[in-house]
This record gives sequence, C-alpha cells and structure tokens, in this order.
Amino acid sequence: MFQLLINGQAHQVDVPPDMPLLWVLRDVLGMTGTKFGCGIAQCGACTVHVGGNAVRSCLLPASSVAGQPITTIEAVGETPSGAKIQRAWLNHEVVQCGYCQSGQIMAATALLDATPKPTDADIDVAMAGNICRCATYVRIRAAIHAAAEA
Amino acid sequence: MRLFLLASLLTIASPFGAWAASPSDLVQQGQYLTRAADCEACHTAPGGTPFAGGRQFQLPFGDLYSPNITPDKDTGIGQYTDAQFLRVLHRGIGREGQHLYPAMPYPSYTKMSDDDARAIKAYLFSLPPVHAPTKPNNFGFPFNQRWLMVFWNLINNPDARFEPDSSKSAEWNRGAYLVEALGHCAECHTPRNFMQAKSSREFAGAIQAGWLAYNLTSDPVHGIGAWSDASLKEFLSTGQAPGHGPASGPMAEAVEDSLQYLKPEDISAIVTYLRTVPARDDGPEVVPATITPLTTAALGEHIFIRACAGCHLPNGTGRQSPWAALGGSHSTGDVTGNNVVQVLTNGSQIETDKGLMFMHPFTGAYTDEELSAVANYLIGQFSARQGQVMPQQISKARQSPEPKAAPGS
Repeated sequence: MFQLLINGQAHQVDVPPDMPLLWVLRDVLGMTGTKFGCGIAQCGACTVHVGGNAVRSCLLPASSVAGQPITTIEAVGETPSGAKIQRAWLNHEVVQCGYCQSGQIMAATALLDATPKPTDADIDVAMAGNICRCATYVRIRAAIHAAAEA
Repeated sequence: MRLFLLASLLTIASPFGAWAASPSDLVQQGQYLTRAADCEACHTAPGGTPFAGGRQFQLPFGDLYSPNITPDKDTGIGQYTDAQFLRVLHRGIGREGQHLYPAMPYPSYTKMSDDDARAIKAYLFSLPPVHAPTKPNNFGFPFNQRWLMVFWNLINNPDARFEPDSSKSAEWNRGAYLVEALGHCAECHTPRNFMQAKSSREFAGAIQAGWLAYNLTSDPVHGIGAWSDASLKEFLSTGQAPGHGPASGPMAEAVEDSLQYLKPEDISAIVTYLRTVPARDDGPEVVPATITPLTTAALGEHIFIRACAGCHLPNGTGRQSPWAALGGSHSTGDVTGNNVVQVLTNGSQIETDKGLMFMHPFTGAYTDEELSAVANYLIGQFSARQGQVMPQQISKARQSPEPKAAPGS
C-alpha cells in the first residue's frame, strides 16, 4: 500500500510495487486518457509527467514514484503550458486518429516548460520518442511553435 | 547460566534437532558462497534450469558446454564425494579422473578454502536433481587430449589455498579472497598468455567472449583509480553508478547472478582489495566527468535521436532509469567501440531490484553502416573522442554465437 500523488490528488493504492504506473492509472484508478501503445517504452503513447519530466509510464514501477507529483493528460490542460498546447492542437487540427496524442501533448508540454521558445531542432529532438502512425508530425511541430508564441 | 546448561543438555539430548539445524545453516552459507562464486552463470543454458548446465562456450579450439551440477546421480554431480568435489574445484580433475579444461575457473577456485567448497557442495546437493546429460565438446586433436592438461596444470595451476597476508587488514584479506578465489574476477579481467592461462598482467583488462572486460587496476586514467568508493560499491551491487554508465554483457550477468547478493561488508572488502591492485595503463582511457562532445557525421545523430533518445534522452542522461544513463560509461570512451558494438548488436539486460532493465538488439532495423555511425556518434558525444568503429565490426558481431534471450522468452 503506497500513495500516488496524481493531478494534485492523493490516491492510496494496494498494488504490487513493481506494477507499471500505466496499469495503475488505467486499470486501478480508471484514468484511461493515458494510452497503452508498445509496452516497452518505445512509442511514447503512455507519456505522463513525474515532477515535470516526461516519463514512459508503461515501464515505470509505480512504487518508484510514490509521493512524487504526477500529471496525466486528464489534468495537463490546467497547467499554463498544457493549456496553450491543447489550444494550439485544436487550432491546428493536429489529431488524426488520436491514439498517440495524449502522449504527444504530454511530451510537447514538458518541452515547452523546459524550453519556452523551442527551435525546429529542439522540437525534433524532444518529440522524437513519440511515434505517430498517422504521421501528424508536421502539424505537431507547427502547433508547438504556435503554443510557444501564444 | 542455568539457561545455557539447559540448552546444552537439550542439544545433547536431541541430536536430531542439532543435526537438522546445522545442515540448513550450511546450505544457506553454501548458497551465499555459490552466488559469490557465480556458478549459476556458466552452469545454466540460456532459459534453462539453473545449474543444469548446457551453456555453450566458443573457445579458440572448439565449442565447450558447461556440465550439469545438480545432484542428479547419472548426469550431474550426485555421486561426488567431498574429496572428489574438492579435487574438481582445486585441481580441475573430475570424479572419473578426467581433466577439466580451464574454462572452468579452477585456477581461481584452487584458492577456495575446503570449508567453503564443502558448503557449496552442500548447497548444490540441496537442489532438485535434473537429468541433463552434458553435451560433448568438439575439440580437435591435440586439444581433445585431456591428459595434456597435466602439463598445463603444472605450469598454470598453483593448486594452493588462499593464504591471508598478515601485514594487511582483515577487510583487505576478505576482499582478496572474494576477488581472487570466489569471484574469479581475473578470469575475464586479466589478459591470457599464449597458453590461454592468466598472464602476469593482473587485471589489466582483456577481451573475453567478444566483450572487453575493463582494466580494474588502480590506474586513474585506464583503471578504476579515479572512481569513488561509493561509485564502485554502487556499480558492483546494482550494475550502474551515476557518471559511470551501466554494466552490460558478462559484467551485467556477474552483477545479476552474483554481486548483487553480496553483503555490503563484502562489497566494501572487494573495493578495499581492488584499490591496491598495482596500476597498469592498458586499455581505453576512462571518460572524464566533463567533456565537450565532438561533432560527428549527421547519420549517427539522426538515428540516435530517433531510435535511442526515447529511452536514453538526447543528452544521454537516461529517461527514468539510471541503467539508461550513458554519460561517463567506459564503453563510450573506447574508440574501437568494442562493447558499444556488442550492446547494439546483442542488446543488454540486467534483472535488478527495480525490475528488468533491457535494451533489445538493433540489428533487425538498421544496416551495418547505420549502426557503426551510431556507435561513432555515441563515442564522440559521450567521451569527446573520435570513434573508429567500422561497419565490418557490426557485421561480425551479428554472427554472435549466443544472442541474449529476449525479455520474457
């Protein structure tokens, strides 16, 4: 039994300590906004923030982040950068099928928090670990630039 | 006092109680020593039953398979007496008088005390017997003449137990025993001579099974002299240390199967002993803490950002896992890229107390040219040296005899 601090709310969870954070989010707490993609930290669909850093929740033992502030797609819109990113996403109609997009938005928000005015190269580097089958990469880049200017 | 007398009387009165207690202590002690001697790593086939043997070793003379050391009477060591077991560890002579090849590190185990060897035997005999015949080797003449080992042993096996050095501390002596006898570190880290025996260049670093086992001497530029005690302890017990990168290949196995189980005082003793190994300046220089990355060809960076940075992060600090941190790794300081090539082509994995840390091989998705470009990028980026990795190295490593099993397979 340990405590997870998710989106400003404390949750006591009774799960094996090595259960991936993603499973706890989706299956135990019912927060299904974060997606399961590859399960081996390769695709980025499961990206959440721990202490403001983008992490892959599919391979992150939940107990290893007990007590640390975790932000998911459900609440990222309440942060200044997250709100800007989501607005820009809508303005640019970034989403096609959408499956990877909660991970894309989390990665983009972490980028904007760390680098308020990212260059194309900054964006390529920060977003390279988030794969999009629909290849929305061009719109993602444009939307991040727009959010940085907003 | 009265309680003590009572206890003594009870012990005498109930021999079964006493008899039952001591063997289990012996077995437990034997398990610890078996781990310290890392018997399991070699005596287990990939994915096979522990200690049932069958792991392949590709030697210059042919292929050798480790034998079954479970207590099976027909195919294992079930019929070994204590004396025969001591003889095999100390002199490399099997139950039927056959000479072992020194792929079995008996020139190190020869330093093991009789008591420790008997405890290991007690532990192995407590395991369930597995019927698993040992696969024969395919050595050609004259290497198939086991009796020739008599001469090799005369020169190369001291056949002497560890003698503590009374001028040194108890901790140093414990460390020396763990490193030289049980841990048999020198079997990989000491270069071999023309007889394939350990040379006098102790712990200067050597290539074993395709991997470079690094210089462990106290030299600060080539060895571990510049590592802090805390870093060495962390590396030995977890397989990574901040600023030094992760263990991979056979060293990851040594941590996973053996070193991670050692008590903190034993790890400290090992560090105390290694500190006193005379410096030698062999092998690649270690990577200093601060470096200015080289600009290398664009192909390597292009692939690194797309295929590697997801886990390692663009600056190599590792996303959410210290085992994914590349900065300071000795492997990236080796301009020949020996171990970087091994990791790219074979992957790397280590079971830790935080779960399985793994990297899959990248040979399925990239060409020899692409992977050598990635290797040279890593070397330029994380050690500021000009990598000299050639595509042919990748192509050779692709034909590796023993790819690591994929996670979960």
